[in-house]
Amino acid sequence: MRVIRAAVDEMWSMVGQMTSAVFRHGLPLTDKIAARTALTNFVLHIHPVRVRRSWIRMSYTLCLGGLSFFLFIVLTVTGLYLMFYYVPSINHAYQDMRDLQFVVTFGGLIRNMHRWAAHAMVITVWLHMARVFLTGAYKKPREFNWGIGTVLLLVTLLLSFTGYLLPWDQLSIWAVTVGTNMAKYAPIAGPYTRYLMLGGHAVGDATLLRFYVMHVVGLPLVGFLLMVVHFWRVRKDGFSGGL
Amino acid sequence: MAADFKRLVEDSREMTRRSFLAIVGWVGFTVASAIALFQSVKFIQPNATYEDPPAFKPVGELAFPTSYAVGSTTVLIDKRVVINRDQDGFYAISLICTHLGCTPRYFPDVTSDLVLAGTQISRDPDTGQLATKANPTLPGFKCPCHGSRYFRDADNFFGPAPRPMDRVHMELAKDGRLFIDRSIVVDHKFRLKV
Repeated sequence: MRVIRAAVDEMWSMVGQMTSAVFRHGLPLTDKIAARTALTNFVLHIHPVRVRRSWIRMSYTLCLGGLSFFLFIVLTVTGLYLMFYYVPSINHAYQDMRDLQFVVTFGGLIRNMHRWAAHAMVITVWLHMARVFLTGAYKKPREFNWGIGTVLLLVTLLLSFTGYLLPWDQLSIWAVTVGTNMAKYAPIAGPYTRYLMLGGHAVGDATLLRFYVMHVVGLPLVGFLLMVVHFWRVRKDGFSGGL
Repeated sequence: MAADFKRLVEDSREMTRRSFLAIVGWVGFTVASAIALFQSVKFIQPNATYEDPPAFKPVGELAFPTSYAVGSTTVLIDKRVVINRDQDGFYAISLICTHLGCTPRYFPDVTSDLVLAGTQISRDPDTGQLATKANPTLPGFKCPCHGSRYFRDADNFFGPAPRPMDRVHMELAKDGRLFIDRSIVVDHKFRLKV
């Protein structure tokens, strides 16, 4: 009996040790504990410890940056789901897309979420840029973050463009044919750029694979890293509206 | 920790608007997560697979029973099936190793190296064949993964395979062609008489 009791006590102390290793603070019963927890916890540190009322005035930012980030998360998650069925090969791509739409349970929902979120993200990112421009939020000390923001806009547009090819229907193929031919008109490097984009001289299997790789890994990775810096700078420079 | 929790419970004995909204929020989040989990499982589960169907008819020269000599062994490697014909008739072997599922390959000689090394090989109960020092060569199957060996009629005699390879259903279709259904495992004594 005593042995069992000792074993149970030992188990409880182990549980306690594990819990306190993960949760470094008790419940946030006072503002002081809450602030300290937010500072030292990785998940909670994304929230500012202190927020001024003027910073969260919705009529100033219209939440456009936050909406863009939210849509990015929606696109990442739904995109992950689509990858379970989509094969980036000209023999499979169109059929897989049709299967997602008509055969896979909730496939149509996921694909439509991905499609509409993609359209919406292009809109919110543009509007976000317009808002920052119109409120003059790009000025000192936020010039660097404006620069990162313009690259993020470019990444968003490239994600949209690369995703356009993946259904491999007539619209996709000719849209990318047109798009890459426009790149060809760039002086000097134009034709070579197009060759690199297509992985050949016409839109084909190599193009589909290239666009797929850029769409699911390359561009999201660049976008994610830039977003980390973007949000970090927003926190460090402060919200422009409250100043 | 425990004391903190007790205090929290005591503090919130009367429900405030804030704690009510928090509870509503967490319940909503939990329900939404449960639905998302359900949808995820349904999504991952394929409604249609594009695998080769288990039933098929051999094509080309191998379509008709007359193409098979008595005593012959024919490997349809793409289908993972072997068609044997003996005096009693036809039978089909599912060419899947009973150890861990690789595809054994046909060799005209699967016994001589063992016999010459002095390993005793049991007599094949089906064909009655026995490899001896005087006559060490018997045809059969060797699995490339872990070295299991089978006689020509799928009886295992060496290596980790625990039992003979399965035999599967075979019949003559109305058009006179052979018809094999790999999803139906049949008895060892099964024969298709033509």
